Amino acid sequence: MGRPVAIVGTGQTRHGRRMDVCYPELVREAVMAAFADTGIDPEDIDGVVSGTMPSMMEGVALTHFYFADAMQAAGKPILKTETCGSTGVSIAHTAYYWVASGMADLVLAVGHEKMNEGDSQATMTTVAEPFYQRFFIAGAPGVFSMQSQMWTDRYGIAEEKLRDAAAYISVTHHDSAFDNPYAHIKIKVTMDDVKNARIITYPVRLLDVCPNSDGACAVIFASEKMAKKLGRKPAWVKGVGYRGEEYYFGDSDKAVWQSAIEAAKQAYDQAGIRNPRKELDVAEVYNPFTYQEMLFYECFGFCGFGEAPDLVLKGVFGRNGELPCDPSGGTLCTNPIGATGLIRTAEAAMQVTGKAGDHQIPGARTALAHAMGGVDQFNGIIILGSEL
Amino acid sequence: MPKRVAIVSVAQSAGAESKDNFYDQAYWITKEVLDKAGVRKDDLGTVISASSDIFHGGISCANAYYWEATGAFLKNGSRQDGESLFALFYGALRIMSGHYDLVLVISVCKGSENPDLDSCTLMYADPFYQRNVGLTETMAAALQMKMYMKKYGVTREQCAAVAVKNLGNAVRNPYAHRKGRYAVEDILNSGITSDPLTVLETAPKSEGMVAMLLASEEKAKSLTDKPVWIKGFGSSLDSYNLGDRDLLSGQLKNAASRAYKMARIQDPHRQIDMAEISEPYAFQELLWCEDLGFCRPGDGAGMLESGITQRDGALPVNPSGGVLANNPYVSRGLQRAAEAVLQIRGEAGERQVNKKVRTALAHGTHGFAGQCHAVVILGR
Repeated sequence: MGRPVAIVGTGQTRHGRRMDVCYPELVREAVMAAFADTGIDPEDIDGVVSGTMPSMMEGVALTHFYFADAMQAAGKPILKTETCGSTGVSIAHTAYYWVASGMADLVLAVGHEKMNEGDSQATMTTVAEPFYQRFFIAGAPGVFSMQSQMWTDRYGIAEEKLRDAAAYISVTHHDSAFDNPYAHIKIKVTMDDVKNARIITYPVRLLDVCPNSDGACAVIFASEKMAKKLGRKPAWVKGVGYRGEEYYFGDSDKAVWQSAIEAAKQAYDQAGIRNPRKELDVAEVYNPFTYQEMLFYECFGFCGFGEAPDLVLKGVFGRNGELPCDPSGGTLCTNPIGATGLIRTAEAAMQVTGKAGDHQIPGARTALAHAMGGVDQFNGIIILGSEL
Repeated sequence: MPKRVAIVSVAQSAGAESKDNFYDQAYWITKEVLDKAGVRKDDLGTVISASSDIFHGGISCANAYYWEATGAFLKNGSRQDGESLFALFYGALRIMSGHYDLVLVISVCKGSENPDLDSCTLMYADPFYQRNVGLTETMAAALQMKMYMKKYGVTREQCAAVAVKNLGNAVRNPYAHRKGRYAVEDILNSGITSDPLTVLETAPKSEGMVAMLLASEEKAKSLTDKPVWIKGFGSSLDSYNLGDRDLLSGQLKNAASRAYKMARIQDPHRQIDMAEISEPYAFQELLWCEDLGFCRPGDGAGMLESGITQRDGALPVNPSGGVLANNPYVSRGLQRAAEAVLQIRGEAGERQVNKKVRTALAHGTHGFAGQCHAVVILGR
């Protein structure tokens, strides 16, 4: 690890269908909230990292131009990081390396998406190249339902148990979203609601899927010297891991998912974590689909392969369980994609600094945040701790 | 004190349309840059690429597509959007942080699979006010050119002389796309793109894969006896709305002063031996030379006329032919840096300048009238 780096402030918008603001105003809302939370001014910032999903999402390209003023970035050094769905965590990583290098003491990271101004599934269809894949893996649910089926088939998971576990995840996350002031979808759902919701792509049903959200998130990273000077409780970066794999969907094993396994391993090694289920206090797993969340538990070593559904139903990953996952309601309830990984990071920072409010996990000291992207091919992890 | 970072190997593709597909182009340039340094992809710690979805042949999430073609399979990697010098900076930051000691930086842009460049730059314009009037990079540059000519009494002929110099230099550059020995009259009579800019004063649309290997000091010494050091770098972003900005006093001064401070350069005209500047529009080379401190404001044309910026001059600018000769949009900044590396190593072939190059500057810009600038100082 390089120089110690801390997160000293976070800001989120109220996520949802934000027709009350234009896109730059949405970005500004998160950025100004982060400055207020940190107690610094835009003049104090040494550099800005910006990022989002593809330009087709809202029909504006190279958005750092458009948001220069909203991000308070005019006259500042800038980097623009984009890695598809994992963009949010990649933005956090960029800000981390920038401070760890010694080239900056305060870096502002900003992620954003205004999905109600575009067609997200049409956009994601264009992630698949036009010659072979685009015809049959259009949009996100197709890819993830194939992955879910590969996984359930591999481990012989009974359909009834699988549906129960997925429904349990959906119900508990939707409940948690009520405790998160920034969350988008706040509805009370029952196990039966989830299990009987309309099919999107088998086995994925409507309540197994994240929404299209408008939202932005800003996180301020600081050097050790600056973090101490600010005198606020920081969240220290303990590990950063990232891996990418093949583009063609059929080229990789998506059940024993190497990019997820290896990204977590890199971050664990840096953080000195050997038994993540015991040593992590909370995890913000990128969970646009209930089934995929269980797969991540296994790839991240929270449990053995094929074991996740049983443990989910025992409440191991619930708010009061051994390793609470997504107490914010997660991506399942809020997904402004370019911001989502950074929201996971911000939520993890809030947890280890005791600032998560009604969805605080008591005494959380070590937290994992995660994002996933590409054609099911990128995974990024950041681990935060309350102690240096 | 941050760790030192060296460039140990560079590779670039030729700018005219290639018969190779995207994958093959990205693969071959990666292989070339690794082979030149005598390393294998397994030796790479991380891969940072540059590409933009809007310049990516209709495929979104650009780096998802070419990930494994650039040696990044199961590696920690990332991507920068819009400006390939950002990828160079990020690669350097990763080494300076102590996490990595060998980084592949690669920029990919296959112009032949993109629409006209201004169909893409139109998408920079906000959809409510500016896009409807057709604001593009070329139109913004034309406005900037008119202001520049008016403020300093610069003529169209003086601006066209930049294209004469650069397209002439490009004749010696096997990677350049547009080249030729032109007279000022030829440049001015080449047709209008956006008045007063002419076709030969407006950069073409090219292909460009540019790759570079960065190494920590210890690693560099084991790989080459001709490391080129990254002495300083800086970037700066301007406000968005054209009307909010002073188009003749933009952010290049800020980006340059950050790079100069890091490289301990007080007198750029004397301390920099040659420069590769991104001038997608001919007159911008004059304006950028002023902003970089090579001459006083308004003296860019005089500096060109004195011969100083010619290939055999005291401060050669764009001996490769610059962006006017080769414009793989996203890759152009990193290509400037690659050319500067070749000049420092004395490996620029027929376009090698007539002086010893100890310190060189490379510059990239993107956005309306130079909304964003990036500068890197390289040296022995």
